[in-house]
Amino acid sequence: MATHRSSRWSQRRLAPWLFLAPGALLFLLYVIIPIGQSVWISFYDWDGLGAATWIGLRNYADLLDDDSFYTSLRNNVWWLVLYLLAIPAGLAIALFLNQTVTGIRLYKSLFFFPFVISQVVVGLIFSWFYAPDFGLLPRILGFLTGTETAILADERYATFGIIAAGLWPQIAYCMILYLTGLNNINPEQVEAARMDNARGFAMLWHIVLPQLRPATFIALVVTVIGALRSFDLVSIMTAGGPYGSTRVLSYFMYEQSLSEYGTAMGYGAAIAVVLFAIMLVFISLFITRMLMQERNA
Amino acid sequence: MADVTLRAITKSFGDVRIIKGIDLEIADGEFCVFVGPSGCGKSTLLRMIAGLEDITSGSLSIGGREMADVEPAGRGVAMVFQSYALYPHMTVRDNISFGLRMTGHKPADIEARLRRAADMLQLTHLLDRKPSQLSGGQRQRVAIGRAIVREPQVFLFDEPLSNLDAALRVQMRTEIGKLHADLRATMIYVTHDQVEAMTMAGKIVVLNAGAVEQAGSPLELYHRPRNLFVAGFIGSPRMNFVAGTAAPAAHGRIEVVLGDGARVLLDGRGATVTAAQPVTLGIRPEHLTAGGGGLRATVRLAEYLGSETMFYAQLADGSGIAVKADGLAKAAAGSTLDIGINPAACHLFDKDGVAVIHGDLTR
Repeated sequence: MATHRSSRWSQRRLAPWLFLAPGALLFLLYVIIPIGQSVWISFYDWDGLGAATWIGLRNYADLLDDDSFYTSLRNNVWWLVLYLLAIPAGLAIALFLNQTVTGIRLYKSLFFFPFVISQVVVGLIFSWFYAPDFGLLPRILGFLTGTETAILADERYATFGIIAAGLWPQIAYCMILYLTGLNNINPEQVEAARMDNARGFAMLWHIVLPQLRPATFIALVVTVIGALRSFDLVSIMTAGGPYGSTRVLSYFMYEQSLSEYGTAMGYGAAIAVVLFAIMLVFISLFITRMLMQERNA
Repeated sequence: MADVTLRAITKSFGDVRIIKGIDLEIADGEFCVFVGPSGCGKSTLLRMIAGLEDITSGSLSIGGREMADVEPAGRGVAMVFQSYALYPHMTVRDNISFGLRMTGHKPADIEARLRRAADMLQLTHLLDRKPSQLSGGQRQRVAIGRAIVREPQVFLFDEPLSNLDAALRVQMRTEIGKLHADLRATMIYVTHDQVEAMTMAGKIVVLNAGAVEQAGSPLELYHRPRNLFVAGFIGSPRMNFVAGTAAPAAHGRIEVVLGDGARVLLDGRGATVTAAQPVTLGIRPEHLTAGGGGLRATVRLAEYLGSETMFYAQLADGSGIAVKADGLAKAAAGSTLDIGINPAACHLFDKDGVAVIHGDLTR
């Protein structure tokens, strides 16, 4: 009897770990260990093939003196700030589409479309849109101002041009999150608020938005992370140019250590570690908030 | 305080007419219950009075003011929703005072009204809780509190008790009744439960398929149902209906021959029938007696409730009949039961279901 009970007990203790094992193992192998390796490599001067030399914090010291690093960092901040516009824009479109009109499903699908297509395609479409000879935007700008501006060739505007391209699918993503959230709002509550004289913005602010908080939180998480890991659009649209002005940290890292000309593995790893540290700040905030909510629930 | 008047009110969704022309007067301070089966349009009608649904045609006035184009918040009405529709992110205090804040009341006034409503509904100790931390009955009281603080001229209730368990429902029924007595406001209450309607209403409006079948006091509807629908809907257990034919008899009386050949002689009360006119006889289970009478039936089921015994029996022509008998009455399933009929309690309906004779025992 006693052995029976103890085997049951150990089953209860063991089962969760057994179920977690495959995922945990892969996570360890492909995420945790590589993070450790990156940190480790960042202390070396290494070309990826030959012998690695321990140089301590020299890579980080070099970063602090590197103008390209500051350009990338500044661009990442721009990405982060402007990418957040996707949240109110997505909300606005979701509110607009949250009505019963014939064909609304079609409109919703059309608005969602940019999220479905590949980032590479988004980048290409916007490159053509900005292209000096046949693009639509320079034509419009030329008509309005008299001078055709090539957005992606101008270091003042190029980053913003890429961010605008990135916003297109990101707004669609936030819109879907909000549409789902709006679906979950009890229509009787909206009616009760109407009886309570809440109209227009007051209704949105006091009744609808508070109930969309879970959606807003997820939208914030995916948008912040999306902004920090922006890479593909930069790579497709400008490859970091003109004159490296559109680099972001991830692209800068790729350029230094993985591209055709880059063999500075240690230096690239140092950039990756810095980017990781920045992300860690945000992710810790998100996780703390989630844990707090779970505890309150 | 205000009366509510509906004139030829209709509502259509596309080509479908939901409300088919309703005329109704609800007096100031009256407790009016809309009752009817699901889909009869009672909730839609209430929502039209609230202003949550547009009125397709007709006129609605509250306190003498035409309301068709007035916003819900401007009508002087407050509504208690079936799901309570409390704002989940707000405390009880904020839920109750939200409407007052939205209409720009002064903080001191809001606080005073909040206190009064909370006292009246015993919510004072719950003011800082969120709806998710309340029981069903407490949520219900918050929903009522939210209506009270606005001091409306008309209260609207949309099946407010349907989410509560039986015991709580009886308790809230009396609380709402007490509230009506205290506030003396006009109240319109929607339910599909005829017991709720009978116990609470000053006036019952029986709705069916978007039209008023009959409006009147509970006892008027019980004793003098205008047609088969009202007769079958009001009263529990339901009125028995037996098909037969009627013919004039001596001294202004009417003889009804039922399907199984049994004869019932009714006081005509001035009504006239033609010979062999097809009719439906209606008689409530409580006006039948087990034993000593003209109808012979076979018992199918007997329910011994102590205070009374319900017999569900079958007549020779196959129609079912329920008898509410004395608690001591006994009859086994399959045995024969002689059922006594009180002719004065018999209702007679013509083939269109319209009442020819009311079995009104109060006369």
